[in-house]
Amino acid sequence: MRFPYDPENFPLGKGPMVMLILFLISCLFIFAPADEAEKELEFWVFAPTHYEEYQARLPIYKTSHPDVNVQLINFGGTMHDKLLTALLSDFGAPDIVEVEINSIGRFLKGDIDEVGFVDLRPRLESEGWLDQFVISRFTPWSYGDKIFGIPHDLHPVVLLYRDDLFKTAGVEMAEIETWDDFIVAAKEATRDLDGDGEIDQYAIVLDNKTESDYMNLLLQRGGGFFDVKGNVIIDSEIAIQTLEFFTSLFNEYKIATPVYGTWHGDPSNYAAMQDGKILSILAPDWYVGLLQSQVPQMSGKWKAISMPAWEIGGRRTTTRGGTMIGITKQCENPDLAWELLKFTYFDRSSLINRYETTLIIPPLKAAWDAEALKQPLEYLGGQPLGELFIELAPELPPRYQNPYWSEAADLLNDAIFAAVTQKQTPRQVLTELAEKVRSIIAKDKERWGIVATNEN
Amino acid sequence: MKTKRDRYTLWNQQQKFAPYLFIAPFFILFALFMVYPLISSLVMGFYEMRGFKSRIFVGFENFTDLFRDPIFWKSLLNTTYFALGTLLLQLPIALFLAILLNAKFVKGKNFLRLAFFTPVLVAGVFVAIIFNLIYDQRAGLINNEFLLFGKEIGWLSNPRYVMLAVILTGVWQWAGFNMIFFLAGLQGIRQELYEAAAVDGANWWQSFIHITLPSLRPVIAFVVVVSMIGSFQLFDLPFILTNGGEPADAGTTIVMYLYKNGFQFMRLGYAATIGWVLFIIIAIISIAQLKLLGIFREE
Repeated sequence: MRFPYDPENFPLGKGPMVMLILFLISCLFIFAPADEAEKELEFWVFAPTHYEEYQARLPIYKTSHPDVNVQLINFGGTMHDKLLTALLSDFGAPDIVEVEINSIGRFLKGDIDEVGFVDLRPRLESEGWLDQFVISRFTPWSYGDKIFGIPHDLHPVVLLYRDDLFKTAGVEMAEIETWDDFIVAAKEATRDLDGDGEIDQYAIVLDNKTESDYMNLLLQRGGGFFDVKGNVIIDSEIAIQTLEFFTSLFNEYKIATPVYGTWHGDPSNYAAMQDGKILSILAPDWYVGLLQSQVPQMSGKWKAISMPAWEIGGRRTTTRGGTMIGITKQCENPDLAWELLKFTYFDRSSLINRYETTLIIPPLKAAWDAEALKQPLEYLGGQPLGELFIELAPELPPRYQNPYWSEAADLLNDAIFAAVTQKQTPRQVLTELAEKVRSIIAKDKERWGIVATNEN
Repeated sequence: MKTKRDRYTLWNQQQKFAPYLFIAPFFILFALFMVYPLISSLVMGFYEMRGFKSRIFVGFENFTDLFRDPIFWKSLLNTTYFALGTLLLQLPIALFLAILLNAKFVKGKNFLRLAFFTPVLVAGVFVAIIFNLIYDQRAGLINNEFLLFGKEIGWLSNPRYVMLAVILTGVWQWAGFNMIFFLAGLQGIRQELYEAAAVDGANWWQSFIHITLPSLRPVIAFVVVVSMIGSFQLFDLPFILTNGGEPADAGTTIVMYLYKNGFQFMRLGYAATIGWVLFIIIAIISIAQLKLLGIFREE
């Protein structure tokens, strides 16, 4: 057989001809019409654990929606930057997306009507979902009278402690009710074991470099950085007193050690826990799940109690972290996206599965009576942790969202470190901080002439 | 009807344009992905975003704000500190390693060359994670195994040591890379020069000062300028090592501050301003270095 065309006659020889043919063929694929019958939904997440959970459950969704093709993508930590770029350029955003609590603020800047997420309040109200949730968990994802996301979690916080080591120190932690009780107990348990003048075992580990643990305490007391109307309240008496208390745990009572490494989930912090250098930690549900998967060798050594209260009968928990799911305004089929959203966030069996794999308590009350949540947890020596979390859930403090939270948190980190290292007093740092953030907001208001408030 | 002559001119015409067509793809891409963003970022520096859709002209306000911004100055100081560390610690070490590897008495040169070069192949993110463990105050390798100064040092928790930790990590990662350039330069120096100097009675140090260094001048200029540019663009290493600049912004670099403003605070105009100020700083430093090292001097 002969080729109808001799490749040797091609102007630049055989190689370039092959390349040209390949180029033309691949062009055919690119411009080929997409399969019209399939409906596409793009779904971005940033947490690997969420990705695994949804990926495993997609086949179930597919059985009821065979014509919908869901593209689930995990972008990790850089997802929020990608989402921001996509929303800014009005192109390339997914239909459904999960957003982390510390990152949501920046998406709320400018006019509330320009926010890139669909307001879900009408759907939630008309379908009667609002009452079925712990309502305070909508506050991080709401701005103005709009709700831009559905909460993924409750994230109540408990005090996780080493029962064995506290008992050795003669302390029964189950009897602790207030922070004053805790300090008395902690002084007993904070010890120099080898007599070299240096403390080897601290009663509690706290993050002195970021806002995390300080905000735990402040939210527990009913304070916050911003109030419901978006006012800066970080220089309120309650905030100052809380920071004074926080610094005293390090400097006056010397019962707290700064977190080892960069944060509580740092391998060196885990190492310090295993070495018995840390006796307790303020732990949200997801952190217990993290410990369980990252430090399985400590199984049976921890126990949990409600957080000590500020006064007898006071609130015994706080909230730390969180994720929402939302629909972007670039979504072409919001009804379809809403169906998928409900499947991932409102479905009882999926929420129970979530607790079983990550210990994350769902904010949907209907899932709380599930047997799985009442099971004794081996990691805590058989303590039914889910029950404790659900008992605390109604007390969960609200955490009001604000477009300036990212800037505020960045400055708050520095302020806390300065106070703990005694460069400045808590009153000084927080007063200066509040002024700084107020002036940033005032400047924008002056420039833009808008007043983005959170008034309902 | 076209004559043979006409066709000849057409052929001539296309011969004139063909070269431009061949180089066009580069220039189209360059204009699209370099020139356009550059100009648009310069324009952006004079605006500030108002949410996602609109922006407001603010004139030079971003620039005046920047010069009054204590965190910007702090990040400039941190970055300069790192750049000086590179210049005074990393590059001399790289040169020292190159001289060692160039010496006749050293065995296993190929292996050593590869070993010193390898760190540069590791992504900055992994380097940062590994060094996080090494620097750890309690459990870390340095404090635990060496206890260099008789007590635990908070490499990453004490603002005083944070940048030093970043510099030392930079040395580990980049010294071997720069060593390769120095090595290539050393091997290009003519052996006769040393022989002649030896005949004249010059000792090792004298030949180093009067032969090696002057001969290496172009290589030194290249390495210094490229390292300085790289130092001022430092981002991923301290970003992960210090969890975004903590504590107390001790690890914040200019590019990190740019990133925070642009992507975390949604102040794209301010971020663009930081980018242009950084560009000017790098340009001034690079030109000054090239001048000082005599690269513009006519031979």
